[in-house]
Amino acid sequence: MSEEAAPVVGTSHLSKWYGQVIGLNDVTVTVSPGITGLLGPNGAGKSTFLKLITGQLKPSQGEVTVLGEHVWGNPGIYLRIGFCPEQDAFYTRMSGLEWVTALVRLNGVNEQDARTRAHRALETMDLLEAANKKIGAYSKGMRQRVKMAQALAHDPELLILDEPLTGLDPIARRKTIRLIKEWARAGKNIIVSSHILHEVEAMTSNILLINQGRILAEGNVHQIRDLIDEHPHTVSIRADRPRALAREFLSADDVLSLRFEEDAVVVQTAKPDLFYARLTALAASGDLGAIHEVTSPDDNLQAVFQYLVKA
Amino acid sequence: MLASSARVFDLSFGQMLWSRRSIFLGLLLGGPVILATALRVVTAATPFWHLSINGTRVNGAALFGMMMWLLYIRFSVPVLGVFYGTALIADEVEDKTVTYLFTRPIRRGAVLIGKYLAYLASTSLLLVPSVVVVYLLIVPVGGGSIGETFPALLTDLGVLVAGLMTYGALFAWVGARLRRPLVIGLVFALGWEPAVVLFPGYLKRLTVAYYLQALVPHAMPQDSSAGVLMQFFREVPTIGASLVALAVITVVSLWSAARATENREYVLDQ
Repeated sequence: MSEEAAPVVGTSHLSKWYGQVIGLNDVTVTVSPGITGLLGPNGAGKSTFLKLITGQLKPSQGEVTVLGEHVWGNPGIYLRIGFCPEQDAFYTRMSGLEWVTALVRLNGVNEQDARTRAHRALETMDLLEAANKKIGAYSKGMRQRVKMAQALAHDPELLILDEPLTGLDPIARRKTIRLIKEWARAGKNIIVSSHILHEVEAMTSNILLINQGRILAEGNVHQIRDLIDEHPHTVSIRADRPRALAREFLSADDVLSLRFEEDAVVVQTAKPDLFYARLTALAASGDLGAIHEVTSPDDNLQAVFQYLVKA
Repeated sequence: MLASSARVFDLSFGQMLWSRRSIFLGLLLGGPVILATALRVVTAATPFWHLSINGTRVNGAALFGMMMWLLYIRFSVPVLGVFYGTALIADEVEDKTVTYLFTRPIRRGAVLIGKYLAYLASTSLLLVPSVVVVYLLIVPVGGGSIGETFPALLTDLGVLVAGLMTYGALFAWVGARLRRPLVIGLVFALGWEPAVVLFPGYLKRLTVAYYLQALVPHAMPQDSSAGVLMQFFREVPTIGASLVALAVITVVSLWSAARATENREYVLDQ
């Protein structure tokens, strides 16, 4: 495979154990260029996955390549990768500018160039005014931004951002999302992990869903939406006669459960296509009164996530 | 590799020098200074009083030599080596800053070497002022000449740096390779070494102190049980053999520590 054709990240039967505990279990996945969201609850294996693809951990089994190269024991790859870790850890006695400059220098850049790049990165992250302030005096949001600055200062091909929006205020959050999209448009590949789905949804529709060390789903939201049709599916129907509708639904084999919410009945079905067909027929006949609104929580990413994580 | 290590040194030196550990050990190194000041004040206040050990009168230079050996070479240097050497990478892991160093295009071994160099510089900066102040306070006691003994001071400082290099490298390996490195380091430095060097035989060759003592320039007090012990104690190799042994211990330990760091996974607590 030529370097140009190599996936951003490719794993084959990748597993990681911490003693008896499984961190990642037999993950085979290909990350395409652009922005990819890594979604999962705390403890799902997101951090383990990111540590494996950033060469901080050695696979217990399987293989991982990043930009076509093996990453464990290959420090040269870090010229092409920028990593913003989740942990809130710094050399707090240094100023933001000193810290980012020192880290950029580790990339083999001379002092002057490193300072220029650090300055530019801090400017991008709106931290220029605080550049000469000690990191120990930074707010949580500023610390988050200085972490991102060190990741992007050496202009890497691939940015790996672990929970980058944590601690940011809504304006900084919006700006960071915009920046991430701009970087992607400028040709950078970005992997961003989060457990807050609407944030990732605002950045990309291309996601990897992870839970209990396994990739539950990968692809865009629509593909994943198709996947969830194999899982119980929730539909909320606001109608004039919800109890009459409920009686009708109870006779169907595909209805797994139902409950009432004010003037609505919420149904869980195993066969959404069949259910929607029957519901359409009922609405058209008007035999059980008017149906005002049909909504499915499954239409947003949060529901997709919950379905697949519970599955 | 050296350029990368130099950059890690730049990043780590200030952090290490102004760490809580340095402040604590700096205070510890103030102990000999306080002792020397007290002795100087006592001798100045009582001009006819002479310091003697087991009935043998000792001058300032001999006293300084003993302090060098007992307080610095046998205690402070190994303790500095243990506390810093075992923590070269462990501190970064504990502070969760190791990620920033290990996701840069430099070998992990270079990170370790850079931090080892920062350790050498910062501990030397802690140790040298303490030794020089003690020297200036103690040597004139009993009419000793600073000018005459100054070359010996330079040799002493060289011995201290050699000790810091060797102990630091050894304990860097302990820190990179073994679990509970601090406990193992303290047992080695304050238990094994003082015990083994007092016994005849080959076992003492498994200590750093055995090789360091050959480099100490001071004559010890003679006509006393302490002197007899010191002479027995100073059953030493040649200076050349000692320098080679210390260099070998340093290089092999550092190389092994760098290799261990390259191959080891550092799992940070979440």
